[in-house]
Amino acid sequence: MVKLRARCLLVGDAAVGKSSLSHIFYSDGSLFQKNYSLTTGVELLTKCINIPETNDSVELYILDSAGKETLVEGCEKMWGEPSLLCLVFDLTSEQSFANCSHWMERVHAHCKGLHVPGVLVGNKSDLSARREVQASVAREWAQSQGLEYHETSAKEMENCDAPLLSLAQAFYSLYQERRETIQNLSPG
Amino acid sequence: MIDSSGAQVVLASSSDDNHPPENITDGNSKTFWMSTGMFPQEFVIRFAETTNISSLTVESYNIKHLRIEKNTSPSAAQFEPVTQEEFERTEGHLQTNAISLNGCSATHLRFIIAAGYDHFVSVHRVSVQTS
Ligand SMILES: Nc1nc2c(ncn2[C@@H]2O[C@H](COP(=O)(O)OP(=O)(O)OP(=O)(O)O)[C@@H](O)[C@H]2O)c(=O)[nH]1
Ligand SMILES: [Mg+2]
Repeated sequence: MVKLRARCLLVGDAAVGKSSLSHIFYSDGSLFQKNYSLTTGVELLTKCINIPETNDSVELYILDSAGKETLVEGCEKMWGEPSLLCLVFDLTSEQSFANCSHWMERVHAHCKGLHVPGVLVGNKSDLSARREVQASVAREWAQSQGLEYHETSAKEMENCDAPLLSLAQAFYSLYQERRETIQNLSPG
Repeated sequence: MIDSSGAQVVLASSSDDNHPPENITDGNSKTFWMSTGMFPQEFVIRFAETTNISSLTVESYNIKHLRIEKNTSPSAAQFEPVTQEEFERTEGHLQTNAISLNGCSATHLRFIIAAGYDHFVSVHRVSVQTS
């Protein structure tokens, strides 16, 4: 049995729904805030994810970081060295999708060359009439960045567990790969 | 040299049941303790009695920055800094680093891994040379 621990950055433009998603992760889906209250700093929440068909788990330390441009710099100081990345955009805002590449650059600057597994999340899938970003386009870009793609609706609590499970699983696979490498090392 | 005899790990910040911290002091560099994510990570080694240590040899993988603290008290608390080391990265084989402690006396040694070259680090053996 092993419990892994991962520092997971939750980033993306303002108002895309990061805090809404993180509240759902936290309360297992009992509260959705209709009224937008902007995050001004970094909010930490922890969530333990069991890896299916094992006794192992991954404890995620999720850092919900403000999306508003003028607040980002202050937040970056608290990011530390991330283990995982959850990058969110709003499916009804082309701009929030376009900005994802800036977010990738910012995050990479904190990774010190380490491979950081991640997911791209298109949120607000309930607003289908206002959709501006097609799933195929988002998926293709995600692939080019080595991210797994998920669509969610924090409002309808649709598919919100999928990104976390996929992050936990990616970290778990990374651990197993590294363990394998270490087992095969020769003496110094 | 006592190869860790009478020394045991009494605390570690994380553990995989298959790679427990006892592997650090079992005298075998094939077995290892592995960290399970995030930094810092630490473990504490206790000696059967207060011991004068001339040097340590640490066999590990992917450790970047290591701080060592000690105490001479029967409990694993109130440590004072001893030294800190920057380890070089190795690929495909273990890091082996000898660390001189100039005969300092200790009952506990605390190893704080502040940074790594990867998400996970391993410690295979800590051997102690006494004076
Ligand atoms: N329709 C719909 N609205 C959503 C959804 N998720 C979030 N919202 C709304 O979008 C607004 C912004 O949500 P937040 O979660 O505060 O956004 P944020 O990404 O944390 O924003 P910052 O903290 O400023 O970075 C709120 O009014 C939410 O109610 C969703 O899935 N569907
Ligand atoms: Mg927010």
